[in-house]
Order: sequence, then structure tokens, then C-alpha cells
Amino acid sequence: MLDDALKADAPADIAAARSRWRGVARYVAGRLGQGVLVLFGAVTASFILVHLTGNPATVLAGGQLPPAQVKALSEQLGYNRPLIDQYLSYLGHAVRGDFGNSFRYGTGAVSTVLTALPNTLILIGISLAAAIAISVAVASASVLHQGGWSDRLLRPLMSALQGIPDFWIALILVLILSVKLRWLPSLGFAGPSSLIMPCIALTLPMLASFTRLLRGSLLDFTGSDIALALRARGLTRREIVIHHAMRNAMVTFVSFVALQAGWLVGGTLIVETIFAWPGIGTMLLGAVQSRDLTVIQATVVIIAVAFTLLNLLADLAVIWLDPRIGRERVSKEGG
Amino acid sequence: MSAINLPDTLLRGERSERTASRHRRGSLTAGLIVLGGMLVFSVAASLAGGSASHQDLASALAPPGHGGHLFGADALGRDVMSWVGGGIRTSFEVAVCVVALSAAFGCTVGILAGYLGGWLDAALMRIADIQLSIPPLPLFIAASVIIVNNLLSLVILISIVGWVPYARLCRARTLVIRERGYVAAARLAGRRRGAIAVLHLLPGLTTEIAVLASLQAGIALLWEAGLSFLGLGLQPPYVSLGFLMSEGKEVLSQAWWVATFPGIALALLVVGFNLTGDGIRDLFNNDVSGGLR
Repeated sequence: MLDDALKADAPADIAAARSRWRGVARYVAGRLGQGVLVLFGAVTASFILVHLTGNPATVLAGGQLPPAQVKALSEQLGYNRPLIDQYLSYLGHAVRGDFGNSFRYGTGAVSTVLTALPNTLILIGISLAAAIAISVAVASASVLHQGGWSDRLLRPLMSALQGIPDFWIALILVLILSVKLRWLPSLGFAGPSSLIMPCIALTLPMLASFTRLLRGSLLDFTGSDIALALRARGLTRREIVIHHAMRNAMVTFVSFVALQAGWLVGGTLIVETIFAWPGIGTMLLGAVQSRDLTVIQATVVIIAVAFTLLNLLADLAVIWLDPRIGRERVSKEGG
Repeated sequence: MSAINLPDTLLRGERSERTASRHRRGSLTAGLIVLGGMLVFSVAASLAGGSASHQDLASALAPPGHGGHLFGADALGRDVMSWVGGGIRTSFEVAVCVVALSAAFGCTVGILAGYLGGWLDAALMRIADIQLSIPPLPLFIAASVIIVNNLLSLVILISIVGWVPYARLCRARTLVIRERGYVAAARLAGRRRGAIAVLHLLPGLTTEIAVLASLQAGIALLWEAGLSFLGLGLQPPYVSLGFLMSEGKEVLSQAWWVATFPGIALALLVVGFNLTGDGIRDLFNNDVSGGLR
């Protein structure tokens, strides 16, 4: 009897695993397709942005050149061609990673942006890692001591933190740590200590939203029938939270973190300018002030590329975390 | 009765449920109190302090409490309290305009997509996906090359991104609601599709739209302030909290008050809107985390 059951199960398992991978492959393909669509959208948006006023040459001139010279400039840069021609050639060059040269520096726009990218990635990486680590610790502690004073204190504290603009936190940090106490340098890069203030400013608001989400999903799980069944088997609340609830919560958490990274990019741009940090934000602001259109376009597209890659990574992580993903698709098709 | 030993997870859940319901009304009340307080402050400051942009070089960088400047004065002798009061008003204007514009557009699109389906639905939702996947602030910064110091164009710019969550929410809920009996009944009674959408679908969505609206209001404020802080959003003659903070940044080492007070006001506004949104959501126990951020 038992043997028969095992034999009957084995091929079914293999078939299930195989169909899961087929489901996963289809899922990944769908996501890749969407990523390509997003990049196409970003390239198009950056084109529209520059052509919104009609003739980009007038933007470049900034009202300081006589009309004849503007006309010459627009002919020289090809802005007098039909819009569809310009769009197609822009698209064609963008696919090859060519956005033309920076008007300000004369170097390739993409390589100009890429030199600033690592500085921004350092900031984002550290703040993201800090926010994730602290929020996991705080959220599980608050769920373990649910209803205790620390938990009760946490909710209003996190609501307040979420509302505080990161650039204001940055200003207050500068005020306290560099101006009053003179502990830290306030501008540019002067050793690892320069990272402290921008990272704190970026971490705090994110930390708040991460903790709130994580606490919510952990509580959802501990209130579920699965948690009750685990409890009946003799697991302690601590074991349930750490081994079972956390793994379940991670599925939503990972996708949320990836989406939040887009928010983080925005915050980074502003915070960078406060500290004169040589990253993408400072570069983009400089480009806007000097009307360096090609660098602006390249920045928008590169941010979109980075963001899309990050979301793809998050999707892969979710597939690994959540075994239901491929199966769901298949069972839907079957049913 | 007491013979049955309930597992403590259950009891815990019950207890937390009860505190949660007290908490629910709490956060809505707190949010409305904060927002109301900010409005009152704004009106009071404009009545007491006079014009925000009145310059008085004699009292430049006067510390709080000196020369009738309760919050101090900035580098040009402008009263910080009047400026903060005016800035709160501008923030409310931005929030209300952005919410109105993007909710109107997003809800229309979402209900249409959900109700009519087909290629329209597919196309609109792809556009929504694309918009949600491009971080907005870099786009805003880039767009400010073209759009210079104008409240209306700033509002439109933020709304171009802001309608997406409404569209997604309305579409998803419409897909559910249109299967309900009363919608079928209205159809049988001969109501036209447009009338059904407005009279029967929209009312079922109002609480969720309200939650989204108050959360979005807080985000729109932050965007406006961030852009103005960078010198790209609203500059004088507009009175913006973000602009005052950028001024405060320049004089941070001499005058802490110029950057501090507008920041506190901004944080209170955002917290007020967030609490209100959370409060409405908790009250009706609906989960619309939405793709706002």
C-alpha cells in the first residue's frame, strides 16, 4: 500500500516541479517584457520632456541669444527636422546607449552620468541595508512584545518619522552634528565619516515605512490559522514569529522594498545637494541649472534602467521565497 | 465556560483587536486635529504678522522672540512665522489641487478601464505600469528645465504621475463591483453605462478614494517642498516652505530658526495627512496600500 502510494506520487511530483518551472519561466518572461516596456516609456518620456516647449534650442539658449542664433543652433543640433525623425533617431541611439555629448563638459552624456553613479549607489546601498536590518529587528521585537510599552510607543513614533522630509532631517543633522558640535564634516567627501549624515537622513523615513509594513504582515500571520496550528504543535510564539511569520512576510516586504527604492532615489537626489555629494543628484541639478539637455535625458533613462533592474532582482527573490508563484499560474490554467 | 482553555494567541488577537478599534478612531481624530491646527495657525499668522514677503533689513536674522518676530527673521528680515503661515497655505493649495486633478482623471480612467475592459483596459493599465516604474522625482527635476515657477504647471506635473494609483484602485474595485446585483439591476432598468458608472460604481469607491487622496496629499506636499528646496519648484513671489528651508540652509550656521520652523510645519502637515488616511482606512477596515510611492 505504502509503496504504491510512493510510486504514484513520485512522477506526479516531478511533473509538478516541471510545470512549476514552466510557470516561473513564463512569469519571468512577463516581467522582462514589462521591464522593456518601462525602459521604452522612460526613453519616450525623456524625449517628450525636452521637446515639450517646441524647440529645445530655445531652452538651450535660455533667452540670451538673438533669434537668428537660436535658429542656427537648432539647425546645427538637428532640432529643425520633423519630430518623428528626431524621435526615431533618438530611440535608435538610446538603444545603443548613446545620448550625445554633454553640452557642458563635451564628454559623452552617459559616461558623465555613470561616473557619478557609484557615489549615489553607495548612499542608497548603505541606507537601504540599514533600514532593512533595523526594521526587521524592530518589527519582530514589537510583534513579540505586542501591546507592551515599546510596541505602543512604536506606532506613533513611526507615523511621525514617516512624515518627516529627509532633506529636513539632513539639515537638522548638519545643524547639530557639524555646526554646533563640530563632530562631522558637512560638505563633500572627506572619508567614511561623510557618509554618516546623508545615510541617517535617508534611512529614517524609510525605516518607518518598512517597520510599519513588516509589523502588519507579521501580525497578519500570527493571527492566522496556520499560526494557531503551529502553536498547537507546541512551538513558542518566538519560534513562530522568527521561523514562519518572517519568511511569509518577506514576500511582500521584498517587492515593497524594491518599489520604495524609487522613492529613495528621489530623496537621495535632494539630500546629495545638501552635502554637495558628488552623485547623480548633484549632477542632475547642475545639468538642470546649466540646461544640459543630453545629460538630463541620460540621467532619467539611467535611473529608470537601475530601477527596472532592481525590480527584476526583487521579482527573482520573490520567486525563490514564495513557492506558490509558478504553481498558481499552472493551477489557474488547469482549472 | 471557563473550562475551555483558549490558546493565548486567540486571546491576544482579541485584545489587540479591541485596542486597535480604539486606536482607529484615535488616528483619524489626531490627523484631523493636526491638519485643523495647521490651518488655524496659518490664518492666525497671516492676521498677526502681515505680509510674508515684507522685507525689513534692520531685523535681518533676528532670533526668535526679538523685534516682534516670534519665530525669528530670515536673511532679508522677513518674518519666519508669517512665511511659515503662508507656506502652509500654499502647501494646502498644492495638495488640494493635485488631489482633485489626479483623482478626477485617475478615477475616470480606472472606472472606464474596469467597466469597459478590452483593449482600452489593457492599454491604460500598461501606461499605468510604466508610470509606476519610473521614479517620479528625477522626472520632476528634469521637467523643471521647461517649467518655471508656476503653481499651475507644478500641480499638473505632479498630477501626471499622481493619477496612476487612483486608476489602479478604481479599476480593481470596479471589476468586483460591476458583478454585484445592484449594478445588474440598474442595467436591466435601462440605465445607460455612463449613468451606472457615476451613480452606482463611484459611490462604492469613495472611502478608498478618500484614503488614497489623503495619503497622496502628504506626498504631493513633500514633492513640492523638495522641488522648491532645490530652487526648481515655487520661488517668490510664491510663499513656499521648501524655499524657506533652502534659505535656511544658506544661513544654517548663524540662524537655526530659518530652516527649522518650516521643516516642523511640513512634517506636521505630512503626518496630519498620513494619520487621516490611516484613520479612514482603519475605520472602514479596507486595505488600500496602493502603489502610491
